[in-house]
Amino acid sequence: MPEATKQVDDGIDYADIENKYQVQYDDGFDNLVVVDGIPIIDKSKLDRLLTKITKEFNKRGVSVKQDDIFLPWDDASGKSKGYMFVEFKNENDANLALVNLDNYPFDARHTFRVNRFTDIERYADLDETYVEPELEEYTPREHLRAWLADPQGRDQYVTYRGDEVNIHWHGKPSQSEVAHKPDWKDFLYVAWSPSGTYIATLHRQGVRLWGGPSWKPQQRFAHPLVKLIDFSPCEQYLVTWSNEPIVVPEGAVQGPQYFSPDDEGNNLAVWDIKSGDLLRTFSTYNEGDPPSGKKQMQWPALKWSPDDKYVARITPGQMISVYELPSMYLEGKKSLKIEGVVDFEWCPLGEKDREETNAVNGVKTSKKAKENTLAYWTPEVQNQPARVTLLAFPSRAIMRQKNLFNVTECKLYWQNQGDFLCVKVDRHTKTKKSIFCNLEIFRMREKDCPVEVVELKDTVMDFSWEPKGERFAIVSSSDPNLGNPGPGVTIKTDVSFYQLDRSKNDFRLLRTLPSRTSNAIRWSPRGRHVVLATVGSSSKSELEFWDLDFNSDDRKEGATEWGSGIQLLGTADHYGVTDVEWDPSGRYLATSASAWTHTLENGYAIWDFRGQEIVKFIQDRFKQFIWRPRPPTLLSKEKQKQIRKNLREYSRAFDEEDAAEESNVSAELIALRKRLVDEWNAWRILRKKELGEE
Amino acid sequence: MRPILLQGHERSLTQIKFNADGDLLFSCSKDNVINVWYSHNGERLGTYEGTNGTVWTVDVDPESKYLISGAADNTLRLWSVRTGKNLYTWEFPTAVKRVAFNENGTRVVCITEQRMGHQCAIRVFQISHEGDGTKQSKEPLYMFNPIGSKATVCAFTLTPDVIITGHESGKVALFNVKSGEEIDNNERAHSDVVTDLQMSKDWTYCITSSKDKAARIHDTKNLMVIKTFTTETPLNSAALAPNRPYVLLGGGQEAMNVTTTSLRQGKFETRFWHKVFEEEIGRVKGHFGPINTIAVHPAGTSYASGGEDGFVRVHHFDDSYFKAKPYGDLEIID
Amino acid sequence: AERKALQLRRALVARRRELLSELSVRKEKEESSRRAEMSRKEKEEEARRLKEELRRKEQERTKKEIESIRIDEAKKYAQSLVDKGILKPNDVEKLESYDTENLITIQVQQLEKEKKEISEKLRVTAKRIDHLERAYRKEERPLLAEDYQN
Repeated sequence: MPEATKQVDDGIDYADIENKYQVQYDDGFDNLVVVDGIPIIDKSKLDRLLTKITKEFNKRGVSVKQDDIFLPWDDASGKSKGYMFVEFKNENDANLALVNLDNYPFDARHTFRVNRFTDIERYADLDETYVEPELEEYTPREHLRAWLADPQGRDQYVTYRGDEVNIHWHGKPSQSEVAHKPDWKDFLYVAWSPSGTYIATLHRQGVRLWGGPSWKPQQRFAHPLVKLIDFSPCEQYLVTWSNEPIVVPEGAVQGPQYFSPDDEGNNLAVWDIKSGDLLRTFSTYNEGDPPSGKKQMQWPALKWSPDDKYVARITPGQMISVYELPSMYLEGKKSLKIEGVVDFEWCPLGEKDREETNAVNGVKTSKKAKENTLAYWTPEVQNQPARVTLLAFPSRAIMRQKNLFNVTECKLYWQNQGDFLCVKVDRHTKTKKSIFCNLEIFRMREKDCPVEVVELKDTVMDFSWEPKGERFAIVSSSDPNLGNPGPGVTIKTDVSFYQLDRSKNDFRLLRTLPSRTSNAIRWSPRGRHVVLATVGSSSKSELEFWDLDFNSDDRKEGATEWGSGIQLLGTADHYGVTDVEWDPSGRYLATSASAWTHTLENGYAIWDFRGQEIVKFIQDRFKQFIWRPRPPTLLSKEKQKQIRKNLREYSRAFDEEDAAEESNVSAELIALRKRLVDEWNAWRILRKKELGEE
Repeated sequence: MRPILLQGHERSLTQIKFNADGDLLFSCSKDNVINVWYSHNGERLGTYEGTNGTVWTVDVDPESKYLISGAADNTLRLWSVRTGKNLYTWEFPTAVKRVAFNENGTRVVCITEQRMGHQCAIRVFQISHEGDGTKQSKEPLYMFNPIGSKATVCAFTLTPDVIITGHESGKVALFNVKSGEEIDNNERAHSDVVTDLQMSKDWTYCITSSKDKAARIHDTKNLMVIKTFTTETPLNSAALAPNRPYVLLGGGQEAMNVTTTSLRQGKFETRFWHKVFEEEIGRVKGHFGPINTIAVHPAGTSYASGGEDGFVRVHHFDDSYFKAKPYGDLEIID
Repeated sequence: AERKALQLRRALVARRRELLSELSVRKEKEESSRRAEMSRKEKEEEARRLKEELRRKEQERTKKEIESIRIDEAKKYAQSLVDKGILKPNDVEKLESYDTENLITIQVQQLEKEKKEISEKLRVTAKRIDHLERAYRKEERPLLAEDYQN
């Protein structure tokens, strides 16, 4: 293929992609296509496979006979090589196959990739990457998670103030320094990916991802006027949203990384992060929506399964559509039609589940990987009670259903390990006069997911599971002002903690903290510690630092009294606080007052888990503070246990480090102060001398 | 440090001043009245009445004989400290925003507002100590209009006929009052209105405060910025604490900018900063509105703050204040 | 003369008798008035005594009342301390006398002690949490290169 080779030599530009759509009449092989992603079989299954393939082709309107197919064999193994050549009658048929069967999911594990034979050489590189994406990692790419190897084990955070972004290291006082000062310009805000691998900026032209030790651009997604983004949990995909429908102007760059005319009018896009390719676009405007209806859009508009395998989208009242990744085809070719469906949530993957899947992936065991689980709820419709359903996916088997009565609203809260699901049910009395609340708690790890109900008289404003724990906290209120927010109105609240009583297997009240104004519960990511905050109030800005296992260390006398371990560690106040966020380690808490909400004393503070202030910066036009997330630890459970066992030894080393560090700091500080005083005194003496002479 | 609350004004305070001995505290306010108090117990000694508008500014001569005041009724008035009698009144086309005596009380400098076609003017008057003080020359000794941004604060310096000024633009400048010539300036001393300017005990340096949320110490000789204190609130006043290495800063978001003012009751704070290390060391709260003016006793034993809330709070420092050495034993020259 | 003498004697006797009776009457009178005086005084004394007694009793009663209130209060206070977990129930029994002031001192001491204990415990916890996290990260570091390889 002299021509094709030449194009490779030209280097990479989008012209070659455009050429893909060019028709070359003078080429004799244009009726020949290569189909990749064919199941690898031995000869005994050839007939069955070819029959199935021709059937599938014909179903998609591409007529092909078995004789037209050539399946190469690997003589060594006696198996097929996983791809095939198909010769069509003419070029048009070949093009049809290209359009209709590329990316076609043949079965759960095989997706066809169709390429023109004449293109295949050109795509040799690309295809190789596709077949073995790991190869890419071997190229001298930056280690995107290099920051985790910080010798001092510090965390990072990003601040955005005015037009200035800073990425800081957070550690002991002398180790807290700026890690990077990017010169990003003209963007809305910054966001970390869920494991902290990338940081995203939202520009007029689209999203940029940055990362690695160089903080160089790592990827870009051309979604003009993007306003919101959402990463998939495993950082493989990105969803972008703009309020403006996509417009593809004439002459716009075309290619897999760009919108095509087919995407016009849509405003929600799904991208592959590694390749930068656009996978699919949607419109967030549902058919039948009143055109002027300013209904609050739900975000994220697409909800990811925790393993990045599926992404689901709800059409309120009608259905949930689940798409497979990376093809973005509707799984099973049909949506889950659920009349009345209001909301749903995927069950998160717990550490246990992760370890299991890893085991399944690593060693071929007979055990099947656990299916994903979806929870959704439907309201009361014509004599049908409201209902919460747990559904396994992709089998679509209903695991559990629970009917509910007098339901005004439901909210679904998964515990982060997927051990429990709490459905917060706002219920009304028969007369619909007053509202109270039921917490329906599903215990997912038990057979048939038993449900237990906690009944409450007050309105529950917030609910939060302890991460990895068996406790939850709620903010409830009976304040008559509830629901009538006004300037200067601060709602009185009660905060209650509940815990699973293992002996009875139900959730019992641990303790209620009455008459507060707290409206935000922030559990430490490691559990145990929790901060109660009053955010968004102009008069109250208190922070309470609680420990739920304060006495757990000396639990020698056997059973301790129920709820006795709850201890207030400290209180603090951050005037005008708008955001409260724990660091990934649960050692520090950051509070910030963002200029996006108000302009009084903007800035941020970092506290330790006891509520002692570590730093506080009040800065004009301060907008954002975000800790850099960390991926799940690479340490095995056993290794962690071993470390805990030998903590004393580690501790000794750290103590020494800390002591050296401290004396270092104070020495530096003393020297600095001495220098400042010397300078001051020198100037004063000079002036005083002059004064005496006059 | 239990404060004494001076309740005698009905409206917000504009300026407060200790006399040279520190036994008296003068306060002026938007309620048109000047009060004088015993600083040690907060007892009101008397009032200086007759002004028909907000009294913006007040100063007292080193002998505590004469009081000078400037007001919104376009008058500059000379008072007898002892009798409260209005000895002499000068009238101008616009309000008097700032007054200051020179080192020996023989001259007064005043700034008049730029308004209604009148430019901002700086005048220097000779003050006669002859007789009962009622015979003063009507005409200023010198007068000039500073070019550029209007002046908001001023003070005499040690150099004869040279004054230091702070301006609306944030500029700090030195002027020769005789010629009206700007000798030196620092255009970017502040980035917003200079709200206060107070001299050190020996007049070799001064501190300015600004709406740009910062206060700065300047060398009055060359206008060099020696120290900067950056806070998070617009500042209305800055004072130097004699004999201790501290500066006192006061301010707060203005009521019109804050719907929540009333909700931060008593949370308007006087901030103490270390003069040399530029670090905040403490705050004293108590006012119900922004702090408009701060003055420190000349011996450094107490300080007073006047607020938008109409109160003057006098704080006597306790022993720990004088003993505290939060930064070690380094000897700091005042 | 004899008659005269007799007459005289008779007269003398009569006179004497008269005098005697007079005397006795006077004596009687005096006696009775003295007795009346005595009994009056006695009555007065008695009344005074009764009054005194009443007053004393009253005083005692109030004193007792005050005391009982005081003890009650102290008991209540002690109970509140028990409720708060500052005192143990058997500690209360051990207290020799219920004295609120005493109890307040105990409470203050106890609170201070508690505060110290809590802050010490917190210091240890803080160190533990910090060191554990750092130890994890230290051990995770070598694994990162491998992670990159994959």
